Amino acid sequence: MIEFEGAEVRYPGGVRALQGVDLRIDDGELIVVVGLSGAGKSTLIRAINGLVPLTSGRVTVGERTLPGLDRRALRELRAQVGMIFQSFNLVSRSTVLNNVLMGRLHHVPLWRSLSGLYRAQDRELAMEALELVEIVEKAYVRAGNLSGGQQQRVGIARALAQQPSVLLADEPVASLDPPTSHVVMRYLQQINRELGITTLINLHFLDLARAYADRVIGLRDGRLVYDGPAAQADEAVFEEIYGRSLTADDVLEGQGGL
Amino acid sequence: MTRASVRGSGARAAAQVRPERPFARFRWTVTVVLLALLAWSTWSVDATWGRLLQAPGRAVGFVGTLVETASLEPLGVALEAMWESIAIAWIATLLGAALSFPLVFLAAANLTRSRVRQPVRQVLNVFRAIPEIVLAIALIPFLGLGPVTGAVAMGISSIGTLGKLSAEIVESIDDGPLQAVEASGGGRLERLRWAVLPQAMPEIAAFWLYRFEINIRVSAVLGVIGIGGIGGFIAQAVERNVFERIGLGLLVVILATMLVDAISSRLRRRLIEGPSPAAQARRERASTGGGPTGDDAA
Repeated sequence: MIEFEGAEVRYPGGVRALQGVDLRIDDGELIVVVGLSGAGKSTLIRAINGLVPLTSGRVTVGERTLPGLDRRALRELRAQVGMIFQSFNLVSRSTVLNNVLMGRLHHVPLWRSLSGLYRAQDRELAMEALELVEIVEKAYVRAGNLSGGQQQRVGIARALAQQPSVLLADEPVASLDPPTSHVVMRYLQQINRELGITTLINLHFLDLARAYADRVIGLRDGRLVYDGPAAQADEAVFEEIYGRSLTADDVLEGQGGL
Repeated sequence: MTRASVRGSGARAAAQVRPERPFARFRWTVTVVLLALLAWSTWSVDATWGRLLQAPGRAVGFVGTLVETASLEPLGVALEAMWESIAIAWIATLLGAALSFPLVFLAAANLTRSRVRQPVRQVLNVFRAIPEIVLAIALIPFLGLGPVTGAVAMGISSIGTLGKLSAEIVESIDDGPLQAVEASGGGRLERLRWAVLPQAMPEIAAFWLYRFEINIRVSAVLGVIGIGGIGGFIAQAVERNVFERIGLGLLVVILATMLVDAISSRLRRRLIEGPSPAAQARRERASTGGGPTGDDAA
């Protein structure tokens, strides 16, 4: 379970990215967080693994509560929370397998991770993660040689190799074309269903949000302005969240029409 | 068919204000300063510039004599001396690489906070500022005059450039993977190993090779003061006026340097660009054709 209590984040420049957010997420939910850019979606997600520290309030993930974790406990929390990034964040010169093995860092002794002498079972786990997103045949290819969609699948595999109980995805499809976006979203949905991993996905496109989420959370100017089942999140709700009428840019199917 | 204009209807253009062309002050300042420096240095060094005009003629005569008198008889000795110069340069490069490596990460702005970084950078600057030949002479009382002195002098001197430029390579890496390691619970060392090194290492290694090329030249020069190698061979020949040895020595230096440069630059390119597409495809076929390489874990 993840719980935000009066969570606030104020950036050094004075920008208030999160303001008084109270939110409870149960295990196994698939949540899509929507909002305009700058609404605080990224901040919300990064508060969960402590990449962005709260300036007041609390976030509880499982039995750990932020802030107040020492370095070691913070690293344990992060190991338990997998993260997927908009720009994939793979090392393009390393092989796909080595990128995925990054997910095992916390689970092996330091000498093993530094020497690269991973145990057979860690390699097996990495391979299984690659199989789950159906890209295992690229295991020994340099990550930079893959297409964007393939790289994002490797990013998902890397997060899965952590054997996480929570998966965070920060705009995972924003760098991808519409068909590839659906492929990636389907993998995320399958993983949520099959492995029961609590999943939070930041998205901009309302049709994607409605198609894949169980529950939609809307943010505007750092405040929670909508929280409800995806089925009820109709266009009026999105206009409310965005604070303006919808345009073609807000739907994935409206993209790349040329 | 060419169109005369891109004006369109002109309606949009009318609504906009064109900016004034900015005055390129920086560019002008640089140009003026450079020209002034050139004029000043030309007059202040008190050189007899006239000699430059006579030089080509003399050079042709000199090279002619060298070629006429060159003899292949001392070739064995010359090659041995060249080999020694190269070996000294190689040891010096490895020494410099090894000593500079830990400093690289302490000097990189994206990894180390400025309280630590600034002093490290200053240390690197000091190493960079001392010429090899000065270092070598300073080391003679401790190490005597020989290959070790040369290697240590060049090694120490290499720390500065290798450290500073490698730190710049590290600073230019993509920080996405750093964030990814952090998000998966990795610590400092793991960030270095899995996010920094894979990105920066090929370029750093390529730079080591480049420094090796430079060190070969430096090593030949230091030979003149007596650390051994081809420099000593040539210096002795000049001292004793043995023309046939001078020509041969120069020839060996030039050819050997060119050869090493050629090999080294191919290696560097391979390091930076990675495997050629053909090699990558071969590898891919091999790895998928043979099935996932076996870990027999349960």
